[in-house]
Order: sequence, then C-alpha cells, then structure tokens
Amino acid sequence: MDKKEKYKVNLVWTACIFLFWEFGAFILDKVLNDPLAEAKLPYPHSIILSITQNFTDLMTASGLTFSRAVMGFTIGALVGFGLAIIMSLSKVAEKIALPYLIVSQMIPVLGLAPIIFTLVKDMDASRIVIAAYITFFPVAINMLSGLNSVDMDKKELLYSYAAKKRSIYYKLMVPFSLPYLFAGLKIAAPMSITASILVDMLGSKGGIGVKLLYSLYSGTKDVFWASVVTSALMGIISYFIVVLFEKIAIPWRRQEAN
Amino acid sequence: MTEKVKNVLLPLCFGILIIAIWQLGFIHAALGFKPFQLPVPSQIVITLRDNFAKTMFDTVITVSAALTGLILGCAIGFLIAVIATMFPKWGYSVLSIIAAVNAIPIVALSPIMNRWFTDGFSQKVGVVTVVCLAAMSINAYRGLNDLRPFAKDLLESYAASGRVIFLKLRLPNCLPSVFTALKINVAAAVMAAMISEYFSASTSGIGFGIKDNLRKGIMAKGWSYIVVAAVVGIILYLIVMMIERRVIKWHASQR
Repeated sequence: MDKKEKYKVNLVWTACIFLFWEFGAFILDKVLNDPLAEAKLPYPHSIILSITQNFTDLMTASGLTFSRAVMGFTIGALVGFGLAIIMSLSKVAEKIALPYLIVSQMIPVLGLAPIIFTLVKDMDASRIVIAAYITFFPVAINMLSGLNSVDMDKKELLYSYAAKKRSIYYKLMVPFSLPYLFAGLKIAAPMSITASILVDMLGSKGGIGVKLLYSLYSGTKDVFWASVVTSALMGIISYFIVVLFEKIAIPWRRQEAN
Repeated sequence: MTEKVKNVLLPLCFGILIIAIWQLGFIHAALGFKPFQLPVPSQIVITLRDNFAKTMFDTVITVSAALTGLILGCAIGFLIAVIATMFPKWGYSVLSIIAAVNAIPIVALSPIMNRWFTDGFSQKVGVVTVVCLAAMSINAYRGLNDLRPFAKDLLESYAASGRVIFLKLRLPNCLPSVFTALKINVAAAVMAAMISEYFSASTSGIGFGIKDNLRKGIMAKGWSYIVVAAVVGIILYLIVMMIERRVIKWHASQR
C-alpha cells in the first residue's frame, strides 16, 4: 500500500460518508417525515453552509476556547515532563508518585470540572487548571516509560566517558524519550480541548461551548451543528498540530503512521 | 519482602500526609479558600454517611448507564476492528476515520444525543457508546494486525484457512490490546455518563447530584459525590485488571 493508494482510499471513504449522511438526513426528513429532522440529523451541505455563513462568529468563539486550552495544555505538559524527569532521577519519588498517577487516571476528572469551577471562581483560571490536570497524566506516564526504556549500554558508554548526570539527560535520555513524550501529547491535545469546551458550557462568556449550550435551549434554527462540527475539527486539528511539532522536533525519526 | 512493604508504605504515608494537611486547614490558608468552599475530609465523610442511601441510588443510575454504554460501545468497536481486519485495503482507512471520531469532544456529543433521545438513560448510553467505541476499535485493530513476524507465514505454510488464522493467531494476539482499551474505557465511561448528566434531562445520577448540590451551594454533598465517583472508577478498573490476570496469564505484562 503506497501513499497514493492510501490517499485514494481515504478520499473514497470520505465521499461515501458524506453521501451516506446526506441519504440518512434525506430519509429522516422526507421519508419518515420526522418533524425534528433538521435538529436530529441535518443535511451535511446545510451544515457547511451554516459554517460559512457564521464563519467569523464561530472562529472568534473557537479561538477563545482554543487559546485557553493551549495555556492549560502547555502548563500540564511542562509539569508532566518535569515530574517524569524527577521520577526517573529518584526511585523514591517514583514509588510515591506512580500509584497516585495511576489512581488519578481512574477518576473521572472531567466530571470534577464544576467543583473546580466553583472553587476557583474564575473562568479562565479553572479552564487552565482542568486542561493542565488532564494533560499532565498521559505526558508524565509516557515520558517516564520512555526514560526507563533507554538501553543500559548507551548509558554505560556515557558513564565510561565520565559524563555528568546533566549531560547524560541532555544528550541521551531526553532525546531518546521524545517519541514517547509526543505519544503522550497526542493523547492529551484533544482532551485539553474537550476540557476547555466543557468549562465554556459551565457558564463562560464566549467560546464555542456557549454556542453548544445555547442550542440546547433554543429552537432548531441555530448554529448548533455548525458548532459541533467546529469543535470536532478543533480536536482533530489540535492532534495534527502536535504531529507537526513532532516532525520538527524529531526529524531523525521516520514518521510511522499510527 | 521489605521492598514490597516499602512500595506500599511510601505512597500510603504520602497520602495520609496530604489528607492531614487538608484536614488541618493548611490548604485553605495557602490558597485562600473558605471552609464552605472546600470542605475538610472529615466533613465529606460525615456528609456521605448521612446521605448514603440517596448517594448509592444516584450511583447505581449513573453506573448502569455507563456499563450499558460500555458493553455496547466495546462490542461495536470490536466488530468494526474484525471487519476492518478482513478487508485490509479498505479497513485501514476506516480506522483513521474512527480516530477522528475519537477527537470529537464528549461535550459536543451530549447535546446531539439530547436531540435524538428524550429520556436521560438513552442519552447517557448514547454518549458512552460513542466514546468507548473509538478506543476499542483502534486498540483491537492494532492487536489483530500486529502479529509476531513469521507467525502468519508459518500458519499459511500449513495451509491454514483464514478462519483458523483468525481464531488461533489473531484472536489470542489481540487480547492484551483489548484489555488496554477496556481499562481506558471504564474510566471514560463513568466520566462520559457524568458529563452527559450535566446537560441531559436526567434528574438523578452522580453528575446531576454534583450539579444540583453546587447550585444550592452545598459543597460537602457535591464533594461526597466526587468521592463516590472516584471509588466507582477505581473499583471498575480493578475488576478489569482481575479479569485480565485470569485471561492473559501468558502475556509478558502479567509477569
């Protein structure tokens, strides 16, 4: 399967889904005569139309949501990175922190958003806190597994050159773990966007989540589906931004499609 | 043995320390919270004890929806992975599309389901199903197709049919990834059900309990719900881990 072939297959699928959706919307609208057809499953072309009509509006809203997510994501990634380094430096720290990291993964963190919101009282701060909290776990765990999987003989070679701990990390451990780090970042990026949208919906001013929430209580003629598609695109775009950064940061590693 | 004791004691001591600091009000002092904003642990435990029956009722509501969606989502996701494995050329792209679905925020799914279903339970199940479907199909597909080198060639040289290769090689090979997906999904399912409750028509459940009590300003009750949600997440996770130990004893991760 070469690249061109893959591209073709993807294109066919995308077209198929589009047509299938159109067809489904048509069935709902014209054959079943569902009075709520437009709300349940609108025609894709009408969604696209709605997006183009409300383009500036949607862009402003999603820009707000996105920029706040980026803040939290960056802080969370830095904390996760730092924590992974500390855990790899000290076995005691790893023993203390790792069980809590695992447990924090089992807890429905996003569900705690309203609590954090009432605590912090500030929209932007709580958004950043939640996005950071969600981001730091996958980053820390993946980075740590990367640091722990460096070959012993590579380390020993540097020891035999009497390299300092700092230069071992700087020259070997961190570059080696970068692919792992990016695996964590790829998981975290869409999640931090989700967190940001959720905080929007809890009562923020502006942002794409407000549009989603507003549509819950309003009629059918709205930008609801356009907002849904926009928020989905935001999640996907955030993933690809991380992939782009990965290409810049790890040029020596051939990209695997995963 | 001493190593094992250390492994348990260190995190335990740390946890007790944190709870003690919280109980004694150092956190409030450091971050400037009032006691009614962030209740101390003892208060949360007392609140939980006083409202135990109601809290349990709400928990059952949420967890039943989460589990229904989990089973549905995982079954559909696994089926998709199997079908995609049968048609490699067309199947691979389906997985990229599903990966895109995975990037759709849960919070955007919630309102969609609200439009399709009228009762809270189906709304929740709908959201949870979509969330679980993606992780399962991606992981299962990986497990069905990342075979050990030459294993498939060996079976083919014995003239094994596609069905035999699937049953004897692909299926056992995908079990570890399926359990990975399950572990991701149990936490995600509870989370999705809770979030769905914030926006759906339900008037019971953990999510509703949190929302309702925060609106009334009863913080301790809201926190007691959170403790329950965390405990439920941990219990479900442990159940999956126990099943995993039983089922894939032979796998390297279990040694």
